[in-house]
Amino acid sequence: MKILVPVKRVLDYNIKPRAKSDGSGVELSGLKMAMNPFDEIALEEAVRLKEKNVATEVIAVSCGQVSSQDILRTALALGADRAILIETDYDLEPLAVAKCLAKLIDKEQPNLVICGKQAIDDDSNQTGQILAALLGWSQATFASKIEVTQDHLDVTREIDGGLETVHVSLPSVVTTDLRLNEPRFATLPNIMKAKKKPLETISAQSLQIDIAPRIRVLKVREPDPRPAGIKVDSVDTLIEKLKTDAKVIG
Amino acid sequence: MHFIEEIQTRLSSYQILINEEDKKSYETDWRGRYQGDSLAVVFPKTIDEVIWTVQCCIKHNIKIVPQSGNTSLCGGSVPITSIPSIIINLSKLNQIREIDLDNNTITVESGVILGQLSDLALKNDRLFPLSMASEGSAQIGGVISTNAGGTAVIRYGTMRALVLGLEVVLPSGELWQGLTGLRKDNTGYDLKQLFIGAEGTLGIITAATLKLLPLPKTKEVYWATTNSVQHTVNVLNHLKKIIGDQICAFEIISSACLQLIKKHFPQLVLPHHEEGDWAILIELDYFNEPQDNHSIFMDCIEKGTVNDVAIAVNEQQRDHFWSIREHIPLAEKREGFSIKHDISLPISSIPQFILEAINEVSKLIPSVGNVCFGHLGDGNLHFNFTNPSQMTKEEFLSLTPTVNQIVYDLVYHFNGSLSAEHGIGQLKVNSLKKYKSQLELSLMQKIKYAIDPTNIMNPGKMLLPNND
Repeated sequence: MKILVPVKRVLDYNIKPRAKSDGSGVELSGLKMAMNPFDEIALEEAVRLKEKNVATEVIAVSCGQVSSQDILRTALALGADRAILIETDYDLEPLAVAKCLAKLIDKEQPNLVICGKQAIDDDSNQTGQILAALLGWSQATFASKIEVTQDHLDVTREIDGGLETVHVSLPSVVTTDLRLNEPRFATLPNIMKAKKKPLETISAQSLQIDIAPRIRVLKVREPDPRPAGIKVDSVDTLIEKLKTDAKVIG
Repeated sequence: MHFIEEIQTRLSSYQILINEEDKKSYETDWRGRYQGDSLAVVFPKTIDEVIWTVQCCIKHNIKIVPQSGNTSLCGGSVPITSIPSIIINLSKLNQIREIDLDNNTITVESGVILGQLSDLALKNDRLFPLSMASEGSAQIGGVISTNAGGTAVIRYGTMRALVLGLEVVLPSGELWQGLTGLRKDNTGYDLKQLFIGAEGTLGIITAATLKLLPLPKTKEVYWATTNSVQHTVNVLNHLKKIIGDQICAFEIISSACLQLIKKHFPQLVLPHHEEGDWAILIELDYFNEPQDNHSIFMDCIEKGTVNDVAIAVNEQQRDHFWSIREHIPLAEKREGFSIKHDISLPISSIPQFILEAINEVSKLIPSVGNVCFGHLGDGNLHFNFTNPSQMTKEEFLSLTPTVNQIVYDLVYHFNGSLSAEHGIGQLKVNSLKKYKSQLELSLMQKIKYAIDPTNIMNPGKMLLPNND
């Protein structure tokens, strides 16, 4: 079984996003970028399936600028066999990413796509579902457990108030939830080995699909700052302030 | 007029605690080992109030325990019941007096919390490098008075290296105004050095001018495993030779610590770990883009000094690696009682010391557990023994003096120190007396007597009076 894992380069999870001063988007320059955490989980699951001899090959794919090569190298260090960058300068929306992936899947013919349920930058939670629809494949979203049985998958999903297990036929698109697994750490020997693994670049243009943005961002701004709290020196003043300023008591 | 009545004439009621319940948390040390009794806990808000309170204590012959965050690990900041004293708590003396970005200095009062100072430095695009587990509670006055260390000493030094000037209320009630921001000042004895690490026995530090440093652009955090302590020393030297002062932390962690982490914090997944491995947590700081250090570590792997190296590829993993290190004391606490040592040794002696110390203590207590972790880069080990399951806590506890003697005898055999960064406080007063030379003790007594002839400041801590 061949598994394709799409990975996205996003602002590091631990960095507080700030709006650009001209309001055109989120400030990214000079900041630490990393692989989308849900995609790390997807990759880990694929690599584990390979280690269990269920999968034969794991391919990591990213759509975006040349800079996304760094997370593809990380993916290779974490166990992907090869990586493909679909290169474009466009800001890609979920539909565009799904179209790119669908084209690539035509060529690569994987049996399974495992992707993060959403990227932590735009929180769209759409790419996996759109991709399954474009391909006409089965889909199992928000997986917290994946079991492979011949040509089927049993996927446990996290739903409100419990778990649901769905039985889907391959080929399939599975999106991962947070508790599916605990991704491994990249080790130096593996990082060194990753430098020798193949990383292919395909221009998005060459796929001959329309990936132009459908949505125009008018403005990105930060929420209004919360006014600072004050200290009062007596209970009476506190009650007074709660009445007159905060208006939370009558 | 009675002492308490007199301080009530000057300080507001909320600045004085005399009720037993209210005082209690200030009279108990952080580890819950010492519970003293004080006449009152007072919270001065201004320098004048500190001076006035000290003068009032002189007048009534009341001793003074200076206190800031009360996170001492040696009972240094709590009173001793048999000595009538008050606690002067400096947490309300907490103004930022000045930030001078051209001089790269900041002047803060004693009650400022270390973590707040670091955050403020960051906001000004500067670094205040002292970092330790208690940074959310520890306050500057205490950090200076104990010459605190922490995890970045290998690159930035202890607190002593970061203090440029001090303001101190002396035991005479006088104010010494020494808040200079000078890096060079050869005008006689460097008086501030006396108060740094003096544990409040020479006066009350009320404010300090501290160094701010340029902020490194990027960090890298590595988790390496090796087979032996000697290998960790080899790796340290190899790194020092090639990347020198970019090493911001070099922490070693014994296999036993990792076992405790696995047992008590299973959610903290170890990057990789084989039975018997020592782990090394390495942080490198860069002002430019990181060089390719991978080859340095690969060299170590090829030479066999390192088994494997994981690198944190994002902030979350960096925090994760550090979190494992910071959870060791907590895992140790959950495991049960342990006999603790905070020792310092020449780095070259560490492998031999560890071997001999474990060997000797095991002869006394068969199957005793050893928990060893610390700042190898500074020669500082936290070297603790845990209660073996077949021994009762009381029996194990009663062996503390014997274990201490075995450990400290060996420490001094290797020219080490019995307190690397925690200080002396009440806990190690007798050990200090035993292991420090007569000449050194006598010089310390003379300095103490010259500045505090009536022994009003933090009595019973660090030094015992001459005739004791």
